[in-house]
Amino acid sequence: MEHESVPLYWRNIPSYYRLVAKRCRKCGEVYYPPAVKCPKCGSAELEDFQLPHEGELVEFTVLRSVPTDFLKQKPLVIGLVKLGPVKVLGQIVDAAPEKLKAGQKMEVVFRRVVVDGKYGLVMYGYKFRPRP
Amino acid sequence: MQDVWVNGTAMMQTGRHYNLNIDEMAARVLDEALKDAGYPELDALFVASATAEQADKQQMLGAYIASRLGLDKIATYRVENADGSGGSALMAAAMAVRSGLYNCVAVVGVDKPNDVLSNQQQDIYSTATDSVYERYFGVTPAAQAALMAKMYLAKYEYKYEDLALWPVLMHKYGASNPYAYIRKQAKVEDVLDSELVSDPLRLYDVGPMADGAAAAVLCSRKGVAKVLGMWSSTNAVPFNARQEYDVLYSAREAAERAYRMAGVTPRDVATAEVHDSYSILGVLAVEALGLAPRGGLLASLRSGAEVRVNLSGGLKSRGNVMGATGVYQAVEVVWQLIGRGPFKRVDGSIGVVHSMGGVDRTSTVVVLGL
Repeated sequence: MEHESVPLYWRNIPSYYRLVAKRCRKCGEVYYPPAVKCPKCGSAELEDFQLPHEGELVEFTVLRSVPTDFLKQKPLVIGLVKLGPVKVLGQIVDAAPEKLKAGQKMEVVFRRVVVDGKYGLVMYGYKFRPRP
Repeated sequence: MQDVWVNGTAMMQTGRHYNLNIDEMAARVLDEALKDAGYPELDALFVASATAEQADKQQMLGAYIASRLGLDKIATYRVENADGSGGSALMAAAMAVRSGLYNCVAVVGVDKPNDVLSNQQQDIYSTATDSVYERYFGVTPAAQAALMAKMYLAKYEYKYEDLALWPVLMHKYGASNPYAYIRKQAKVEDVLDSELVSDPLRLYDVGPMADGAAAAVLCSRKGVAKVLGMWSSTNAVPFNARQEYDVLYSAREAAERAYRMAGVTPRDVATAEVHDSYSILGVLAVEALGLAPRGGLLASLRSGAEVRVNLSGGLKSRGNVMGATGVYQAVEVVWQLIGRGPFKRVDGSIGVVHSMGGVDRTSTVVVLGL
């Protein structure tokens, strides 16, 4: 898929690089992806909240049929990882899928995600790996 | 408020229609449905399409479909909710008649996912996930359905062999549907031998993308079947934040409200077409519609009970016609209720359509009756 749009990438850097979520100042609920208004209490006062970079694996799957951006990386291991108060969906790397187990300790790593072949835009973001 | 009746229906065989443009294909089917309805004066056209911009580089599809038939001075609307577009367009069309603004409208569902290569289809289908927080990282609906399958099977202590009974059932029904994409029976071994797509889901768990078009004409005057109830609902919780992964919240809410509006219960339902883009989602949809107890459908399939859902063969066998799927389902349910070929008349007068966009992002449930 052609990306071309630098702002589309650039404006999501706080999420992609640092896993910045939103926390409701009123009820304390945390949202990732960031909510615009607290779905729980209705407050519009939300503040940035830094998710912890360590957590545990909830469940995962090995995806073999992938979009064109990921053909060179296939298969992708897609996992649901609990980071503090929320779960985050993303790629698991540096792991043999047959050794992964629900409940195991995971950590966040910073990796290249997509390279746009046409314009050479290199885009980064978080991935997960088992904690050594 | 006006009653809403289905006056005319039509669909074409799903498959790979390389020789037809998207607007031509829709126009042909629409004309057939209008003929079936006796060419009523049409006020508006509602178009359901999920991939028109991406696969066929066409916006404003309604206007071009209308112009292929010379349908002048009508309103055209395009409704997009990914692979749930069909149900949403059906609902919008029915609302327009029910409100009294229009007397006769048509809804046409059309998509041509085979106008692009299969990897590009993955690109398009993955835009039905959250583009920034899911698609960007390579997440597709298949991966999400696979995670739900894993958690469902573990929670209710099923084996993958139990889930494989769904595609087997769909192939059984689809084999006798001449409009279906894949018209052959399958055994459990065929499912188990097929390649892994996203574990535990295999190729046989995935509804193959097919080109197709279906149409229905809805009027306030009496027709062959009546819209008794309808509701659409979104599940606003992101996939990663779900409380539970073994229930389709959008389908459950839409079904409860649609049943209430129609004054029926799941026990009255004689036939249903549900959105099984992945076998696990078909299982969860049947449970969300109250047609099987939660966590119980696979046990019934295992015990050999007759499950009369998706007599068309479902997305698995009829094919995943993306935005057109919900319109296909409506035509199929009407034909099953009235016994129009190739379907035998079902025993009962109530049929249900469940159309879903993405993995439990949005669902429409329409209750049809004679």
